[in-house]
This record gives sequence, C-alpha cells and structure tokens, in this order.
Amino acid sequence: MTNIDSALPREAAPQPLRWRELWLKEDWWAIWLGLGIVLVAYVFFANGASIKWLAVTPAKWSTLSQLGAHFASNYLRYVAQFIAWLAVFTVALTALGYKAREFIPSFVVLYLISVLIFALGQWDKANTYNLEPPLVALVVGLALSNVFGLPRWLDAGFRVEFYIKTGIVLLGATLPFTLIVWAGPVAILQASIISVITFLAIYYAGVKLGLDRRLAATLGAGGAVCGVSAAIAIAGAVGAKKDDAPIAITVVIVWAIAMIFVLPFAAQALHLHAGVGGAWIGTSEFADAAGFAAAQTYGDLASHGAVAGTSDQAVFAYTLMKVVGRDVWIGIWAFVLAIVATTRWERTETGHKPEAAQIWWRFPKFVIGFLVASLIVTAVTAGYGLSAFNKEVVPNLVGPIKDLRTWAFIFCFLSIGLTTRFRELARAGAKPFLAFSVGAVINVIVGLLLSAIVFAAHWENLAR
Amino acid sequence: MAETAITKGQRRGVCAQCMHFRNDPAALEAAFPGLASLSSARGSVRADDGLCARHERYLSARASCAEFHAR
Repeated sequence: MTNIDSALPREAAPQPLRWRELWLKEDWWAIWLGLGIVLVAYVFFANGASIKWLAVTPAKWSTLSQLGAHFASNYLRYVAQFIAWLAVFTVALTALGYKAREFIPSFVVLYLISVLIFALGQWDKANTYNLEPPLVALVVGLALSNVFGLPRWLDAGFRVEFYIKTGIVLLGATLPFTLIVWAGPVAILQASIISVITFLAIYYAGVKLGLDRRLAATLGAGGAVCGVSAAIAIAGAVGAKKDDAPIAITVVIVWAIAMIFVLPFAAQALHLHAGVGGAWIGTSEFADAAGFAAAQTYGDLASHGAVAGTSDQAVFAYTLMKVVGRDVWIGIWAFVLAIVATTRWERTETGHKPEAAQIWWRFPKFVIGFLVASLIVTAVTAGYGLSAFNKEVVPNLVGPIKDLRTWAFIFCFLSIGLTTRFRELARAGAKPFLAFSVGAVINVIVGLLLSAIVFAAHWENLAR
Repeated sequence: MAETAITKGQRRGVCAQCMHFRNDPAALEAAFPGLASLSSARGSVRADDGLCARHERYLSARASCAEFHAR
C-alpha cells in the first residue's frame, strides 16, 4: 500500500456527476444563491419596496459615539442579515458535504470579524492609514491563522471560493450587459495575449531549469489563467505527479498574496486611472479572490480620491479582464494540454483519450450566473431614463445588491487569510519558484504596457 | 493495432471505478495544502479528477490503465 493509499480514506466508487453537479458543485450553488438574491430584490422592487433594510452596511463615522449610535439603531437589521446569510449558506454548504454543527459557529466568527472590518473601513481616517477593508481582512486573517492558530474544523465556514463566486454573480447584477458586450472583446484580446505569453514564459523557463513538463505546464496555467484553480485543472488534464499540484499551489499562493499588496499601490504610484489599474490587476493577479482583494482596494483608493476614476471602474475592469478574459478559457487550455501531454510528452502507464467535452466539464459555471444576473437587471431596468435610474433603481434595487456583494467579498477576503497557513504549504523548491517568477515578471510588465498604453483609452472610458 | 496499457485499461474500467482512485473533495483538500485558500476541490474546474495511489499521479476520473482493480 502506498502512502496515498494510507493517507486518504476509502470511498465508495464515485459515480459521474452529470446532473448531480447542479447541487454538488459550489459553482452552481453560487448561481442559485446569487440569482435567488437578485430575483427576490427585483420582486420587492417591482412591488414598490426594497431589500435595502436587510442589506445594511456600517455608515461613515468619525467618532466612536457615532459608530455606537449606528449599531444601536440598526442592530436588528444586522441580526436579520446575519440570520439570512446563515440560513442560505447553511443550506448550500450542507448540500456540498459540510457539517452544519461546524459551519454555524465558524460563520458566527466570520460575520462578527467582518462587521468590525467593514466598520473600520468606514472610519473617515481609514484612508489616511491605508486601512482598506480587503487589506485589513487579509492581514487580520493571516495573523489569526499563522500567529495564534485556529482549530481546523473552523475552516468549514471559511469558504473562499464559494463566497467570491457568490459575490461575482451578485456583481453581474450591477454591471450592465451592454457594458459586457462593449468591453468584453477587448478584455478577451488583452487577456489572451498575456495568458499565452505568461504560459510560454513559465513553461519554457521550467523546462530549461529541468522541471518535468507536466509540472511546468501546471505552473504555467497557474500563472496564465486562474491561479490555483487552473493549476489543479491542468494537473488533472495532463496527469501530473501527485506532488506537482501542491508545489504549484504553494508558488501561486505566495505570489498572489504578495501581489494583493503590491499591485494597488504600484498602480497608485504610477498614477493609473481606476479603470486602467483594474485592467492591470485583472491581467496580472493569479487567482480570482486575490485579484478582487487588490481591485477592490484600488477601487477604494479611487472612491477616496487618491486616484482618478471610480471604484466601479476598477472592479468592472478587473472583472471583465479576469473572469471574461481569462477564467472562461480554462477548459480549452485543459483540452489542448491534454492532447499535447498524450501525444508529445512521455507516454505513461496511465492515460485516456483527451475529450473535447472537458471544455464544458471544467467551465467555471458561476460565470453563467454572472451573465444571467447582468441580463436580468439590464432587461428589467431598460425602460428607465438616466434620472429615474439614479433616483429609483440605484437606491432600491442595484444599491442593496451591491451592498450584499460587498459583504460576500469581505467574507472571502477574511477567509483567504484565515485558511492560508504558510507553515503547512508544500515545499516548492527554488526551480519551480524561479520558473514561475520569470513568467510573473514578464506578465506584470506586458500587462502594464497593454493596460496603460495600448488599451488605456478603452479602460479609462469604461462605465464612465 | 498493438494493445497498449491504456487500451487494456479501457477494456476493464476507468479510474472512477478503481480501488486505487480517490477524488472525495474533503480528502483532496487535505492532501493538497493550500488548495482551499485560493480555490476549492468543490469547483467545476476540477471536474472529477483525483489521486491514483497506484501510480502516484493526479488524474482524470476517466483515465484508465492495465492495473485497474474494481472496488
């Protein structure tokens, strides 16, 4: 019996998921939750009401007494919101295999810390001290998990990917579909250029350094497409060795977390417009969740007047570049690399004929929810003029959905820190780290040239 | 055409049905440190991939080999 045999529990023979994917994959649960919230919000709006009572967020404050007064007069709204989140997340995560008795106390901790971080971000001096909520959430989470340590069972509530996917579906409701159609092709063009260059740079640097081709491809996809998710997708498609994926995960995490702190402030130092900065972050961050933390931070800088443009421009440009431009192509990358692995690289004792159907199997389904949410809100608000839209739709429909999205993102950013235990990551070694770094540096430079020079006018005019 | 290890395996069954194959999401997240920090074993992109204990590889559930053993 090998060490894998002894390390992993025995399972019943797994059956193909097929339609069961609709309730056994978190992408679909993010769609059900996100679209469910959008539809409920619309039903209220269509009947002359709004979900804004439930979508409460901390108000701007300058003294602790103001903050205290806000919570004293709104505590029932926070309790109701907490119960609503807890109910829908418990249903979803229980279906995904988590134990409610572990998830519930974990989410209590997550929500309470999130309230504190959100409130801190509303302090009128927060910007002076760079207390942007995404960065504060990340630092607090990293400190709790790496300095103090947390029980492993608490991870049941720290579901980074589930929260970010739910937030992205909600984000779709705040992004006009016409904008996706207008800006999407440029995002796809820019992202395709940078993805191919980054993959080839990491792959050939890895091969030159003597890495196995499967590991080099796994690292390359992690840098070029969608971080850890791309790394495990490609590892499976090419039949990587069991240690390859953990190595790629370690390298991607270290780079992605460093970039959360570097990219927003580098963009600010370069005086990049919010839309341009968002596009650069979308081109050069490696994982969706980490990138949203960086893009939201840059958006916060814009909302405080530290950079030109608006918060929405930074987040929208990032989303178009990362989600539409890069994420959706992971299935094609997997299919092509599976063909290369089975026809050009060494023949192995295991394998299978590459199937084009994996383009669909591996498709990040939450993107469907993002597009449908955008279509729904665009369609139901099509009859409003600009003035009526700003007076009625924004405060009663789009605004509350945006506030709930912000909560989902804070849950995600905090969960990144709470689940990243540096001591437990696999040892990557110098060669994989060096190979990835070659591609990351090229990516950052080419991404900046494309965002700030070649397509600068496009990103500056986004959602203006 | 000469029969290869792969085609022999395809006659017998795929990894999803093999005793050496593990693709439970919780077990994969435990086996891959950091996977849940910026991704998840429950996402669509992973499909049904899992670990083969016999060959120590991370494989598609539809892969196969000559050493297939039904559960």
